[in-house]
Amino acid sequence: MKYWEDFKIGEATDLGSCAITEEETLAFARKYDPQPFHTDPEAARQSIFGGLIASGWYTCALMMRLSVEAARREDAAATGSPGLDSCRWLKPVRPGDVLAGRTEVLETWPSKTRPIGFVRRRVEMVNQRGEVAVAIMGITMYERRPGAAA
Amino acid sequence: MKFFEDVEVGETTRFGRYEVTREEIIEYARQFDPQPFHLDEEAARASMFGGLIASGWHTGAMFIRMVCDSMVPTAATSGSMGFDDLKWLKPVRPGDVLFVESVVREKIESRSRPDRGTVKIESRVSNQRGEVVMSLVSLVIYMRRA
Repeated sequence: MKYWEDFKIGEATDLGSCAITEEETLAFARKYDPQPFHTDPEAARQSIFGGLIASGWYTCALMMRLSVEAARREDAAATGSPGLDSCRWLKPVRPGDVLAGRTEVLETWPSKTRPIGFVRRRVEMVNQRGEVAVAIMGITMYERRPGAAA
Repeated sequence: MKFFEDVEVGETTRFGRYEVTREEIIEYARQFDPQPFHLDEEAARASMFGGLIASGWHTGAMFIRMVCDSMVPTAATSGSMGFDDLKWLKPVRPGDVLFVESVVREKIESRSRPDRGTVKIESRVSNQRGEVVMSLVSLVIYMRRA
């Protein structure tokens, strides 16, 4: 099990990748983000984006899935997140793109009141051209190693 | 239609009504956030949350749905560059009914693109007890009057 104590500043992890399909992009947008440039390929062509683009909230959902799968691979004792400092949708994400996730630990500190610790990390979703499409600074919580918490 | 010029700093809006169901919490979690406290009633009871809770990103998705239904149809917006300072403050559970309160915090003119500007909007998503469950500051792109 990977506990809060095991996260080191500067530690970088590849989160794996996922392919963007038109079908899934449309399904998410129709349920949660029905703006024409997310739901209607024809209207999207006329928009400032020049074609269908994925909802930013969909790209964040994919980032979350990659993060959960990566945490499972390293058996991390993750207990959720209090929030994010920032999230930027820097490049349009289009069907056919492949996004690879990567993350780096920036800061760690323990909770004063609970047997958990916090990790501030940068997470990026990078497309097949090497462009950062989504950049997040967020905080995740992990359990302390049993017996280690003061 | 509301353009960049029509937005006023300090302007407040209350909108939306989103009924959170157990089925939708599990469906979202299965696709995007398969952690036990989002997926499985039994495991969630044993967790620090004491019962099933929605993925924070699912709350974000429900928020943008309320924005799309209530604000987008009458606003000359063209998406968003992202957001700052997102906080997940309280668990969102099956049966909760969410709504949004938004305040315009700042207007930023674009130097490179004179046809648009960015509006910083602080939004708070609350439940039926008036507890704020999520807050964030969105960076929304508004087109200017032609």
